[in-house]
Amino acid sequence: MIQLENIHKVYRTKTIETTALNNINIHIKKGEFVSIMGPSGCGKSTLLNVMGLLDEPTSGKVIVADQEVANYNSKATAAFRNQTLGFIFQSFHLIPDLSVIDNVELPLLYRKVNAKQRKALAIQALESVGLKNRTGHFPNQLSGGQKQRVAIARAIVGQPDILLADEPTGNLDSVMGNEVMDILLQLNQTLNTTIVMVTHDENMAKKTHRLLRIYDGSQVA
Amino acid sequence: MIRHIFKLIWNKKSSNFLMLLEIFLSFIVLFVSLSFVIYNYRLLNKPLGFESQDRWMVYLNDMSELDSLSRGQLKETLELELEQMDRIQQIAFGNYAAPFSGNNSISGDDSGGFLIRSKLATVDINFAETMDLQVTSGRFFDDRDYANPNYEPVIVNQFFMDKYFPEKNMIDSIIVFSGDKQIIGVIEGYRYNGEFTEEEPMMLQLGHPRDNNLGVMYIDLQPGTTAAYEEAVNKKIADIVQDESFIILNLEDQRKQNSRSTWIPIIALISICTFLCINVALGLFGILWYNINKRKGEIGLRRALGAHTTDITKQFILEIIFLTALAVILGIVFAIQVPLLKLGPLEPINLYYAIALSAAIILIIVTVCALHPSWQASKIHPAIALHDD
Ligand SMILES: Nc1ncnc2c1ncn2[C@@H]1O[C@H](COP(=O)(O)OP(=O)(O)O)[C@@H](O)[C@H]1O
Ligand SMILES: [Mg+2]
Repeated sequence: MIQLENIHKVYRTKTIETTALNNINIHIKKGEFVSIMGPSGCGKSTLLNVMGLLDEPTSGKVIVADQEVANYNSKATAAFRNQTLGFIFQSFHLIPDLSVIDNVELPLLYRKVNAKQRKALAIQALESVGLKNRTGHFPNQLSGGQKQRVAIARAIVGQPDILLADEPTGNLDSVMGNEVMDILLQLNQTLNTTIVMVTHDENMAKKTHRLLRIYDGSQVA
Repeated sequence: MIRHIFKLIWNKKSSNFLMLLEIFLSFIVLFVSLSFVIYNYRLLNKPLGFESQDRWMVYLNDMSELDSLSRGQLKETLELELEQMDRIQQIAFGNYAAPFSGNNSISGDDSGGFLIRSKLATVDINFAETMDLQVTSGRFFDDRDYANPNYEPVIVNQFFMDKYFPEKNMIDSIIVFSGDKQIIGVIEGYRYNGEFTEEEPMMLQLGHPRDNNLGVMYIDLQPGTTAAYEEAVNKKIADIVQDESFIILNLEDQRKQNSRSTWIPIIALISICTFLCINVALGLFGILWYNINKRKGEIGLRRALGAHTTDITKQFILEIIFLTALAVILGIVFAIQVPLLKLGPLEPINLYYAIALSAAIILIIVTVCALHPSWQASKIHPAIALHDD
């Protein structure tokens, strides 16, 4: 489902050059739930961004859902991202000026789905994360765990094949963190969604199929 | 997408309110200022009805001491001798209700069954040719009119006709206005009080150069005659009238000087409008940059969810344009009451133009100001925008 070959990513600023990823080779199969661990600043987010086609590697080959990316800024890539990928972030990234349901509908907005259908799909997604009765709330009226569940609903509303989660439980206490983890596990089991999750929590990593360890931009396990 | 943008604007109503208010107030100030500017601009573009270029006006010395015979002879000599000069084409005489003089003679009479009010000026038979008045129907005064006709002949302007006798051919008809008068001709217009004044009902009466009140002499010069020529004319007149107390005025200079008092407030108003527009533009720029910086996360997120760069640009431009449109529509609702309820001194057409122009100016400023920041917003790299920690 995701194939990375000889991926290098170098960040160049005026003063320094940072090698964020150094010769990464990963192959993730359809339906796999893979976790990524490593110390802060080792390149985990960069790796996830490369998989999510949000960031272009300095060199190497990225193949997602059997497609090699030609142009990172094209409309086709934007549409491909919309159809194939779902994102979950540590800091949720909900839009504060939009209600819960409007936040969840966002991916469908870039897909020309009509308003009625958008609403129906968003409610369905919120139901699956147990927030059906919070549709009219605004993000600042929700707890951290609820926010992350809204973000998950948003990530799955377009039924993507792949979910990329960057420390989804990093800002949550263990109870809320476990709730979120249970939802991800369930998605993986029932819908066969391919999930790549960055985490700092060994217990969460143990629940996944496979653990990748990154150290200083290189894969160590 | 459009509903989505309305939702965004609505949900941010408290922070959008100030901007809405600013645009609304700017619109109102623009509307008021432009109403007056447009009103004056339209006056400026109407023909004066007479030519001021290459025309001089001479306030003759006082001749009231002379008997009418010698006065008549003196003026006849003036006319003959001056017309002999190489650059002078024609001479005419008129009374003191002269162009740009500020002197007005107004009369009213309702004995014809309804009130007629009109400005009056007295001129001789050469006045129309000398000053290039446009006679649109009937004829101008000529020699026949000096031969004691039954009724006093008069010339009126088109405005007089439209106001008091619309859709009637009144040529050679008799009207009651300070006695019986026969309308023998209609001129297009004669806005002798200046280019920023409205056309008013105007009646020209016939006078003879020998009359004491025809103390203003008009000179039609060949095109391109310079001020240096004034010396020769001055000498000629002085030789004839044996007096130095007459004054020669250049009618074109008089026109400009007369307009200056109106140009100053117009320029002030235009400056205020320009300043206001720059202010609005800078304010908008600031708000947009601030907004975009604050909403970096949102931009990155939208990109991650499948928005193309053009979607981002479009969204930011539409947000600001919708907000502006809302403020402008609100402004129009208020402004349109002025012509609808006939408030204020201006003709509605000026107000409608002002509304349209104000709306256009504001929408253009906003669109131009929104383009660059919105385009910059789309350039924000999603990976950087979404960066946590
Ligand atoms: N946009 C960027 N410009 C320059 N350096 C960057 C940028 N993004 C990340 N880095 C650097 O790349 C390295 C990896 O960063 P990141 O992938 O965010 O690590 P992690 O997610 O594992 O904490 C770090 O050293 C970080 O400072
Ligand atoms: Mg990270």
